[in-house]
Amino acid sequence: MSLNKLVSLREAVSRFSADGIQYASGAALPVGSDAIVFGRELLRQKRRGLHALFHCNSQQLNLLAAAGAVDKVECGFSGLEVFGFANGLRRAVESGRLVLEDYSNLSMALRFLGGALNWPFVPATVNIGSDIAWRSAFEPDAHPSARKIPAITDPFTGKKLGALSPLKPDLAAIHVTLADPEGNAIIIGTEWSRFELSRAAKKVVLVADHIVDTDCARQFPNLVRIPGVLVDAVVWWPLAAWPQGSPGAYDVDEKHMRLMNEQLGSEEGAARYIDAFVTKTASVDDYLAAIGEETVERLQKSSSSFLLDPYRKWIKPREAIDSLLAQNVSRGDAR
Amino acid sequence: MSETLAYTRQEMMAIATGREIRDGELAIFGVGLSMLAGYFAQACHAPNVRSITEGGVFGATPVGGLPWGIECNRISSNAVSFTNAIDALGFLVASGRCDVGVIGAAQVDKFGNVNTTGIWGHEIGERYAAPKTRLTGAGGANDIASGARRFVIMATHEKKRFVDQVEYVSSPGYLDGGDARARHGFIGGGPSAIITTLGILRPHPQTKEFELAGWFAFSNIDEIRANTGWELKISPDAGPVPEPAEAELAALRKVDETGMLRKK
Repeated sequence: MSLNKLVSLREAVSRFSADGIQYASGAALPVGSDAIVFGRELLRQKRRGLHALFHCNSQQLNLLAAAGAVDKVECGFSGLEVFGFANGLRRAVESGRLVLEDYSNLSMALRFLGGALNWPFVPATVNIGSDIAWRSAFEPDAHPSARKIPAITDPFTGKKLGALSPLKPDLAAIHVTLADPEGNAIIIGTEWSRFELSRAAKKVVLVADHIVDTDCARQFPNLVRIPGVLVDAVVWWPLAAWPQGSPGAYDVDEKHMRLMNEQLGSEEGAARYIDAFVTKTASVDDYLAAIGEETVERLQKSSSSFLLDPYRKWIKPREAIDSLLAQNVSRGDAR
Repeated sequence: MSETLAYTRQEMMAIATGREIRDGELAIFGVGLSMLAGYFAQACHAPNVRSITEGGVFGATPVGGLPWGIECNRISSNAVSFTNAIDALGFLVASGRCDVGVIGAAQVDKFGNVNTTGIWGHEIGERYAAPKTRLTGAGGANDIASGARRFVIMATHEKKRFVDQVEYVSSPGYLDGGDARARHGFIGGGPSAIITTLGILRPHPQTKEFELAGWFAFSNIDEIRANTGWELKISPDAGPVPEPAEAELAALRKVDETGMLRKK
């Protein structure tokens, strides 16, 4: 029998997260794949004081920041691309409630790589010579900062380089397109830093748009970039990245991207958003109802849908997922 | 705004940026205006440009409108390879292999240093504090500015944006000028041009201070100087920038199918 790691979203958050942890999102850039539902559940379970490690901001960080659940962030990009500034994150940073340490998109990935390899530091030829290296929001009195990206000397050439600190998050919630119950996962679209993050984090929870049979992994083993041996739990949640998109599965929900960002721009708006789209979306059915049936259908009719075709025959129906979950509820309570 | 012109100012800016990209180059574009400029170049004079995105989307062109982001489905529907950031920004850009990148700027200074991190409204000083207005951060632009052989900066030409010295260097240009990049050990060559809404600035070969190299048909030296926050020098070769040719405009409008650049 293969190992069944499927658990509910509620159980994954309750078992693997705690106040004050270093929490990493495994995602694509601001409008792409991200386990945004994991952030919604973190809020339902009232997690606070999180230290977020996001290679880039997304609506998840925007929401967590707006809700006051995050004290510290390290990231490479803090906007929402064509959707503009991330109002919730911006508000938290400008008010001083949240401290944001700036890196770049490559340096965040390199720091996860350093954590994955258990290196003491990663030599860098980016971020050097800029305020990213010289200024530290975590150490505001140090200028230039000697601890953020200190200068080192290449022992072979004598040239100056920067040293990036490695990251080993307590928990990574990684969005994947497909996962089998053991946690063998296939990502459609760019991985961004999910490969190295899955090796750097102390605990790894996958949040998958679809659950597939293990035969799918056996058919495409080269495409399984996160094998189950690295994974602690698997959560199934349809449209897990909504309102962001997931290549092959669903498109960006333009209207909700704008509504969400607008509401997160004020304290009152954020409270309204949390009530309607966090508190009231605790179950898959309530969540899909909040998105709306027509919208779900429209988003799933993506020009990228063909990307999912080779895998469709292995996608498990809801009943099969429910019965796998049921096995772990009876077993999981004993753990 | 441009009643007498057959094109918009935004279109002129995109075309001027696209002209900086040469056929066959390995190029990296961000989302929005920079991507339009890049795909315009490909549709017009650089059919063999090899373009990549920061996240490692290879061989794709936008489908169904301008992408919302660089890994949006609109740029994922006809890719030939998806990889990752260490591949695209690391193996191909930070390594020095990428020929040209295009980045945006909220603030840019006379040495081509770019600030996209925040607006403090004053020098930050010894102690770091959060900016009054938080912007998007460096993203991949710092990596492009550090590693690409050259890069092009796009910015709206306003005095508050074209400053003597940026408040925060998010993406390095020539720092304090001269050979500063060599001293810091950068792999990439630095910014080759700033394309603005009014004209084109290029660095002086030795001092690396940006000078006026050209003005668009709807602008002039006085207007550009009045909108620049430092004493802008005029390059000896400066002159008017050729207006978009019919073929250029046709190619751009094919790429900009939703008319984003024609809205204002």
